[in-house]
Amino acid sequence: MGKRILLVDDAPIIRLMLKDILEYSGYEIVGEACNGMEGVQKFKELKPDLVTMDIIMPEQDGIAALEEILSIEANAKVVMVTAIDQRESLMKAIRTGATDYIVKPFEDERVLSAVKKALGEE
Amino acid sequence: MDNKQKVDRALQLISKLSIDKASQVFSKMIKGGASIEMDKAYLADITDVTQQINENSDEVIGAFVRLVGDAPFKFLFFVAPEDSFILTDMILRREIGTTKEFNAYTESAVQEIGNILASAITNVFSADFQIMLYPSPPTVVRDFAGTVFAEYILEAAAERDEVLIIQSKFLVVKNNIRCHMYILPVHDADKTLSQIASSM
Repeated sequence: MGKRILLVDDAPIIRLMLKDILEYSGYEIVGEACNGMEGVQKFKELKPDLVTMDIIMPEQDGIAALEEILSIEANAKVVMVTAIDQRESLMKAIRTGATDYIVKPFEDERVLSAVKKALGEE
Repeated sequence: MDNKQKVDRALQLISKLSIDKASQVFSKMIKGGASIEMDKAYLADITDVTQQINENSDEVIGAFVRLVGDAPFKFLFFVAPEDSFILTDMILRREIGTTKEFNAYTESAVQEIGNILASAITNVFSADFQIMLYPSPPTVVRDFAGTVFAEYILEAAAERDEVLIIQSKFLVVKNNIRCHMYILPVHDADKTLSQIASSM
C-alpha cells in the first residue's frame, strides 16, 4: 500500500488532476477537502502521511490551515499548491513550516518530485 | 498624445503582455498544442458595450475575479458552454468530446482558467511595472451574456464610462475557442495607469 495523501483544494478539477497523477504512481488518496477548515478536520480524522494544500481557498485559507495542522502534528508533511503569482503567500507558507510547494499549472514530474521529497523517498 | 491616449496605449501593452504570459501558462497546463492569441484590445463605452451584449441572448459560462492592490481591477472572462466542455477535456487531458454537460469539473475548469488569466495579468503588473496586485478567488457565473456583464459593471458604472475589452482566441488543435475578456479599472486604478502611461 502506498503512502496516504489528503488533497485540500477548492477546485475539484485540481483535486482530480492531483489524484490521477498520485494514484497512477501508487499513492493512496485517503481524503479530499475543499477548504482549510475541512482540511484540518480531515487531517485529524485520517492522519495522512502527506497533505497537498492550496493557498487561496474560501472559509479558511491554506496558510491558516497549515498553521493548525502543524500545531496538531509538528512533523506533518504539507506541500503547498500555489498559482504563479503568489510568491508572497508562498514565502509565508514556507516560513510557517510547509515542506515544499507546487506551482499551478503543474507538470506530473514536479508533483511527484515534491511529494517524494517531502516523504523522504528521494 | 493626451493622457487618455497614453492610458489606452498602456492598457493595450499590458493586455498583450498578459495574454502572452497566459498563453505560456495555459500551454504548459495542457501540455502544449494550444495557445491564446489576442485579436484586439480597446477601450469601449460601457453603455455601448452593454447594449451590444444585451442583444446577445446566448448563455455563457465565465469567471469574475477581483484584482486587489495598488491598481484595483475587476476581471471577467466568458466562453460559450460548449467551449467550456472542450476546455475541461483539454485540462483533464481527455479526448475532446468526453465532457457533454456542465458539471463540477466544467465549473472548476472555468474557475482555474480565470485564475490563470488573472494571475497572468497580476504577474505582468508586478514583474514589468512593479505594481502589486493580488487576484481574489474567481466566482464562476453561468447565465445570459447580458446578465453576466450587467453584474460585472454594476459597481463601476457609476464612476466611469469605459471598459477595456480584450478579444482573444484559445487556439487548440482543430478547435478555435473564442474567449471574451474584460478588464475594468475601479477606484484609483486610473491614477496608477496614468503613471504607467507617463513612464512609457
